[in-house]
Amino acid sequence: MGGMHGFGPIAPQPDEPVFHERWEGRTFALVLVTGATRLRTGSIRPAIERLDPATYLTSSYYQRWARSVEDGLVRAGTLDVADIDRRAATGEPAQAHRGDTDPEGTAQLVEALVGPRHPSGDIVAGRFGVGAKVTVKRMAPAGHHRCPRYVRGVTGTVTMVPGGWPPPTSDGPPEPTYTIRFAMADLWGADAEPGWLYLDLWERYLE
Amino acid sequence: MTDDHPHHGDHDHDGEDHGHHPKPKLDIERRVEAIEALLVERGLITSDVVDAIVDTYERDLGPMNGARVVARAWTDPGYRARLLADGTRAVGELGFGGAEGEHLVVLENTGDIHNVVVCTLCSCYPWPVLGLPPRWYKSFAYRSRMVREPRAVLAEFGTALPDDVEVRVWDSSAEVRYMVLPVAPDDAATRSEEELAALVTRDHMIGVAR
Repeated sequence: MGGMHGFGPIAPQPDEPVFHERWEGRTFALVLVTGATRLRTGSIRPAIERLDPATYLTSSYYQRWARSVEDGLVRAGTLDVADIDRRAATGEPAQAHRGDTDPEGTAQLVEALVGPRHPSGDIVAGRFGVGAKVTVKRMAPAGHHRCPRYVRGVTGTVTMVPGGWPPPTSDGPPEPTYTIRFAMADLWGADAEPGWLYLDLWERYLE
Repeated sequence: MTDDHPHHGDHDHDGEDHGHHPKPKLDIERRVEAIEALLVERGLITSDVVDAIVDTYERDLGPMNGARVVARAWTDPGYRARLLADGTRAVGELGFGGAEGEHLVVLENTGDIHNVVVCTLCSCYPWPVLGLPPRWYKSFAYRSRMVREPRAVLAEFGTALPDDVEVRVWDSSAEVRYMVLPVAPDDAATRSEEELAALVTRDHMIGVAR
């Protein structure tokens, strides 16, 4: 999406609520709960990126999340589409079933979500150090990845080595990531605004 | 169940009385409710955990947390140094941490340097210090334009940068999350942390305000 034209001006809304509609908050929480309890498969990003482009561009943010949480639950075998269809047709809200509570489990999950942590990122030996010139590979991968199109083929300089994490769509082992600084003119051409663009990339995207 | 209701009113947010709903439900809304209902009925989750997460992100997380971090950094040089060296641990000192803040890097604005954060992938954002992102941060317009024409976008936000200020745009689409430490007001030394925190907005810490 970076660098694309035609989306018009940005429209901030003063005093915006955290969730605009009740279902947006429920969707957000369901993504976190079903992820933490492993009721659904993997990250929500790959499911979002499996949406066809027309659906992606015409869905709201939490609509995309809702589609992806359903996709993950179905892929994990937790729910099936027909059950969800039937239940949605009844329109019966979830609040009818709020007899069950689990205060202890709830407190643990919230603490795990917002509890202070030590920095993530493993120390792993990498090919590049601070100051190294690196070029982003030219490629056109299908499916989920974390290498924006607008940096492919462009050379930049490593400015930080924050640590290693499992590459996208993988559970490990951790792979080094690098913070890379690109000159705006190298990304966008001679008439670009002056300045710098910083981006973190996994080692697999670099040469 | 609600299509016969004639009025569009305020949405019911209390989560208790759902005998009436002020406007027809979207299909997606019905599906989300169905998913939650099925998970609860089958004993896979409880509703209170969903309630607790919504409450946490509506009430406990937000830019007021980041504002406290900034105000502390403006008044305590030792804290400022720790914040810039290891953002995760330094915000943890004030009780902030967790999801989407596991590796926080704090970017220092100066008279000569202006930092601004975007996520072209989707919506990467430092939840523990800023809460959940506003709609415009997740919009196609912001995501597509900030990496290509930051000065033009900043000007639309009312932040016209002098030519001699260097712009640094951070596209946070991997594992690190970024927050901007704005330039302290000149009289920061004579003001309380509470007063200073009240000056700091979400937009300062994203970098669309200066």
